[in-house]
Amino acid sequence: MAYYLGLVQLIGIHTLLGLSAYILMLTGQLSLGQAGFFAIGAYSAGILTVIFQLPILPALFVGALIAAFFAFLVGFPALRVKGLMLVVATIAFSEFVRLFFFNLSWRVPRGDISVGPDSTNGFREIRYFVANGWSAWEITAFVWVFVILVMALLWWADRSRTGAVLRAVGEDELAAQSVGINLTAVKVAAMTAGGFIAGIGGGLYAHTATYVDHLTFTVLLATFAIAYPILGGLSSVFGTLLAVIFIQGVLVEGLRFLGDWRNIVFGLMIIAAMNLKPSGLFDAPTARILKRAIGLDGRGQNGA
Amino acid sequence: MGDFWFEFFDIAQTVGDGLLFGATYALIGIGFSLIFGAMGKLNMTYAAASLAGAYVGLAAFTFLDAPALIVFLVSALASGLIGLVVYVACFRFIPINNHLAALMASVGALFFVDEIIIHATDGSPLTFPAMFDDVMFFLGHYGVRGDLLFVFAVCIVSTVGLLYVLYRSRLGLATRAVSQQDVAARLCGIDVHRTNAVTFVLAGLLGGIAGAMTAASVGVLSPLITIPLTVKGLIVTVIGGLGSIPGAIAAGLLVGGLENLFLYFRGVNERDMYVLLLLFVFLVFRPHGIFGSAINRD
Repeated sequence: MAYYLGLVQLIGIHTLLGLSAYILMLTGQLSLGQAGFFAIGAYSAGILTVIFQLPILPALFVGALIAAFFAFLVGFPALRVKGLMLVVATIAFSEFVRLFFFNLSWRVPRGDISVGPDSTNGFREIRYFVANGWSAWEITAFVWVFVILVMALLWWADRSRTGAVLRAVGEDELAAQSVGINLTAVKVAAMTAGGFIAGIGGGLYAHTATYVDHLTFTVLLATFAIAYPILGGLSSVFGTLLAVIFIQGVLVEGLRFLGDWRNIVFGLMIIAAMNLKPSGLFDAPTARILKRAIGLDGRGQNGA
Repeated sequence: MGDFWFEFFDIAQTVGDGLLFGATYALIGIGFSLIFGAMGKLNMTYAAASLAGAYVGLAAFTFLDAPALIVFLVSALASGLIGLVVYVACFRFIPINNHLAALMASVGALFFVDEIIIHATDGSPLTFPAMFDDVMFFLGHYGVRGDLLFVFAVCIVSTVGLLYVLYRSRLGLATRAVSQQDVAARLCGIDVHRTNAVTFVLAGLLGGIAGAMTAASVGVLSPLITIPLTVKGLIVTVIGGLGSIPGAIAAGLLVGGLENLFLYFRGVNERDMYVLLLLFVFLVFRPHGIFGSAINRD
């Protein structure tokens, strides 16, 4: 049971990671740096609960703010250049963050032992949940409160003017600019919001895993982050959730019998998916068919 | 002579070694630039494919006892072949204006190639035969490492070869035509898919040489090099200006030189952090790179 609860927590956390890339992709930008913001959130929240002994909520919040701040900083120079340049800049940022934590050693004595990030050995003492006697059910519920909150917020934002502005920038920058939308402001705002969401996800990850090191936050994690919204399509936040359940729940668990060969299959499946459905597995037409199949006609829902 | 001069010689020596090694970064940067110039897309598999080529070369050395020249030739050919496969798998059938899908597919191929390497070698580093590492030339106070000089020379020869193909052959003419205006090129009867495939093979040949050179001057070949080499290649490409070959050469040498300087002052663990910061310095002050045009394609 604990194993499945762990999987449910992981799905929640990866949904946050995917949504952080989703909001940026609405504006037509692709970032391979979400792993970096996730790492900043993870280490910051971990340091706050372990070294400064803050409760979990303020620690998560401050961690997410720090991640958002760095997203804002990266967003400015990176968004002056477009598209593929942003991909390169964000990969570079993500690797920078990874190397920073690779080098970071900040041990403080706590009783008989010392705690804190220990460069290559990782950060091993993030035991807030255990120390405060949270059960696995409580931790799972805690994670999913954040997931549902963020999904609801994004779903609502998508149906308000904010969503229209984000999608306008994503569809056609020139047209968006000509109706008076400030492109840089919108993109940097989306980047910052993405950083905040990834930061929450990272903080939750650090506390559920109790252990993080620099190898957790590689380009592979950043690829997962963008693979979810690409697979799930950009028509709604539920696509990202479905994609996470599909990849983490079905593929990663289902392919466990392949052992070491699983990662090879993973690479091949990305290639196959992109060749067969270049605009996402759950793109608009597929989503419509799915909705009809489960009795939710897209038109009826919007008209209500 | 005072301490200052000794330190000065040390630093100059360090930068010199770095410049020579930077030639391999320049080659990787040229490869990224070639493909970006031809298709306006990033081939994320490129550096991994280059190292995979070097692995095939190493296999030729280990199992067949091939001489140095053959090792490099085999590396280049293998990497060119992988380039062709990557083109067919990740670019050929994906709609031309869908940059995201092609990028994702090539990231998938990056993991695929990386995993194959890890499986074939059990993830452990292998020693790569060093060439001319016992040769040392002296110019006054400075020594020039023979192996680095050899790397530099091979890089120059292959760059010149590439430029010859690009600017003096019909094949190069077609490649440049496709990179400037692919619709117009098609109207002139140029087969775009074939030309793009040739560009991938050309870039792959170059990458294989660069991969083998990197391995020869570091002395080991390990799956751990893949991602750093990819990132550094991308940085060189951006600093040089996306799609610019002279830019990639200049940026490769710049990154190589500065990298050794950072190594000298800050040690191996922090070296790469400063290289990455260098990219952001360029993004802020010179976003289109050293030789990039102001109009940016995306």
